[in-house]
Amino acid sequence: MSIFSNKRNHQDPVLAGTSGAAGTPDVAATPGTPGAPGTMGTLGPTRSLRRVSGLRAVELGAAAVALFLVLAACFPTLLAPFDPLAINPADSFQGPSSKHWFGTDESGRDIYSRVIHGARPSLLIGAAATAIGVGLALVLGTLAGLGGRWLDFGVGRILEVLFALPGLLLALVFIALAGPGITTSVVAVGLSTAPGYARIIRGQISQVRSSAMVEAAVVLGRRPAQVLFRHILPNALSPVFVLGTLGLGQAVVWASSLSFLGLGAPPPAAEWGAMLAAGRTYLGTAWWMTFFPGVAIVLTAASSTVLGRALQRRVAGR
Amino acid sequence: MSFPFRTPRRAVVSAAGAVAAVVLLAGCSAGGTGSEENAGEPVSGGNLVYATGDAEPTCLDPHVGGNYPQALAASQYLEPLVSKNDDGEIIPWLAGEWQESEDGLTWTFTLREGVQFTDGTPLNAEAVKANIAHVQDPETASSTGYLALQKIESAEAVDDLTLKLNLKAPDSALLESFSMPWVAIQSPKALERSQEENCAAPVGTGPFIVEDWVKQDSITMVRNENYNSPPADAAHEGPAYLESITWKFIPESATRYAALQAGEVHVIDNAQPDTIAAAENNDVIKHLDAPRPGASNRLELNTSKAPFNDPLVREAFVRAVNVNDGVSSLFFGTAERSYSPLSSVEPLGYSDESLFGYDPAEANRLLDEAGWTERDAEGYRVKDGERLSLEFPVSTNQSIPAEQSLFEQLQATAKEAGFEIKLNLLDLSSWYGALAENDYNLVSAPYTKVGPDVLRILFHSDSTVPAPSGYFANLSQVKLDELDELLTKGSETSDPADRAALYEEAQKIVLEGYYILPLYDQQNHFLYRSEVSGLRALPTVSTPAFYDVWLNS
Repeated sequence: MSIFSNKRNHQDPVLAGTSGAAGTPDVAATPGTPGAPGTMGTLGPTRSLRRVSGLRAVELGAAAVALFLVLAACFPTLLAPFDPLAINPADSFQGPSSKHWFGTDESGRDIYSRVIHGARPSLLIGAAATAIGVGLALVLGTLAGLGGRWLDFGVGRILEVLFALPGLLLALVFIALAGPGITTSVVAVGLSTAPGYARIIRGQISQVRSSAMVEAAVVLGRRPAQVLFRHILPNALSPVFVLGTLGLGQAVVWASSLSFLGLGAPPPAAEWGAMLAAGRTYLGTAWWMTFFPGVAIVLTAASSTVLGRALQRRVAGR
Repeated sequence: MSFPFRTPRRAVVSAAGAVAAVVLLAGCSAGGTGSEENAGEPVSGGNLVYATGDAEPTCLDPHVGGNYPQALAASQYLEPLVSKNDDGEIIPWLAGEWQESEDGLTWTFTLREGVQFTDGTPLNAEAVKANIAHVQDPETASSTGYLALQKIESAEAVDDLTLKLNLKAPDSALLESFSMPWVAIQSPKALERSQEENCAAPVGTGPFIVEDWVKQDSITMVRNENYNSPPADAAHEGPAYLESITWKFIPESATRYAALQAGEVHVIDNAQPDTIAAAENNDVIKHLDAPRPGASNRLELNTSKAPFNDPLVREAFVRAVNVNDGVSSLFFGTAERSYSPLSSVEPLGYSDESLFGYDPAEANRLLDEAGWTERDAEGYRVKDGERLSLEFPVSTNQSIPAEQSLFEQLQATAKEAGFEIKLNLLDLSSWYGALAENDYNLVSAPYTKVGPDVLRILFHSDSTVPAPSGYFANLSQVKLDELDELLTKGSETSDPADRAALYEEAQKIVLEGYYILPLYDQQNHFLYRSEVSGLRALPTVSTPAFYDVWLNS
């Protein structure tokens, strides 16, 4: 069967390390070292276990932020003192104080509570968009990596066309067609990140496919599905988790950008991008309305990048 | 206050009177709506930069469609037949005199002599006739102008400067209509061009000429050196002081204000309440408040479909939302709450505060009575499995952010009574689309017109039929024979007392039927730098006039 032929596909040098430009986080993704069949499946986990003690302070900080964000997303009412939607016009435009830590907005809503409640939609949008992006990329990347020369050629050209468009533009086009809303912005961000992931996955797969281990499995007469699921995918996918972690932060930023433009969550949702948009009108008089949601976005993106890098180093076994 | 509108039946406003008005007003032009400290002698020359936050027009010819952004720009290069002074009286502009026949069915206008369009075409009766035909032509797709000139059946040029209009019915609002920029007079030669060409650079008699329009950036207007047709209440004669105007589009309000502070622009419109409040303590930036005439800014409750086809639900909604707290916190004292369908600058406005008090208990009682007794898990009321949900498309081009925040506050208070309000923030064309498809329960649609006849445009059942532009103005879709009759009669009655009584009765019906929720006047705040002198808003539709403006160095 053609997809498991051992013929090396000379057309693709390892693209993985160089494809960070168009929307996919830059990652020096390396496959699990091909050619060491015995340890393949367990390589990543054991290595990272051994290195847990080597965490740097920055990584600890990032982990703490991530933990806090997850906590805020799961149990916002535990952390937020006020109802994020409860208006109180008499209390509007209050600066940060002991009662309202981050101040209040134009309708007297507590910004700290809104930032906490904003974690859930932001993280959900980020995670769901990344999942869509990676999922789609898996299908495309697998097709291209295993589907033979013509399929590879076809998918490769489609990806190149998609790469030619800036990712956010792709998302905007999709929203223009499908109408604004949370679901559409999730799909839009997912779709526009997919090409970057797909290219990396394809590179991984074609590299693993031509490894001695896969060659051996094919020679031993393993069924194609078995070869795919037991040997190729597990080894090709370990960098995907790293990519996903790195991409999460970016997806959150993109989703916030769309909300900022009024294309995401409708009012009065507590969503960071929408809060930024509402606050910018009052930037001159009420800086806290934009500052704190902005900090939340920056921290989310930064912590996911730091964690992604840490994960990447461990997987790569630097 | 004197009655603002002298009914022109048999009244002849003489050109001599106009000259007298010029002399009189030249001495005290700073008095009314204009700036207070026009220190020093006017200086000629310079380029003024104006930054507008209104939507960029798709067509600079205000006959086409006819919205406020078009009026803002067109007021600089087109002129209407008549204007209004600060006392609300109609005064000459391109027409020097006019006369209404005894039966009100024929009007004769005498045009000003020696006026030329900026393409050299002379202003004459044929030209005005061509303009009326242009507004009435369905191909033009006019809305505001079309509705304003609805009653004109035919026009004839009696001689070079005399125009006779034959009406289908008497029109007590005709002069008010003719004072608006949406029926301003353009060169008939220019109107013969394709609509695309005419939209890009309309040709009028105004003090400035459209030279260039870079879409999504700016319009460049240059001085009309041959200008000789200022309105009767202008402060000077001859060409404008300013050499040119750069008309910039800066939709983002904070950016617009920052540009003003930095001195990159001289005048901005659609100023945010917080920046107006800040300007009060600032010597460099001044404030011009010019509420628009016509309708107040109000929410229209769509009675054509559930749930607002039920008057109980309409009243419940009005009682359920807390407007006053929002207005006072969001507008920093720059907007006063309205309880009238008409703007506070309309002398015939009728208010009834008692109908619009915030009363959640009453709202709940009314909803129970209307059968919306159950509540779902999210606390919204339910009847026959349907949630009490309201679609509220909001045009982000026509609402400043403070207004959108107010809508969010209404959303929050209405929720307590069990109303779900879905705010859909839309650009102007999607918003028009939502209205055309009857896809709304609530909508805020500003409507500017000079005089109380705006009530006929907004609440007569005829206005549920779309104008050629596709827009229909009766967005509450109220259809009452009694109301129709009052509004029709009002528009045909010239006697001031009768007219006032008819419009008061009509406004009572509109308010008591809970077809609208009045919010405040259509906000029209300009901020300008202190080096700008002589700025005023035209008393007609409150657009800024730059004819008398000069820049102090």
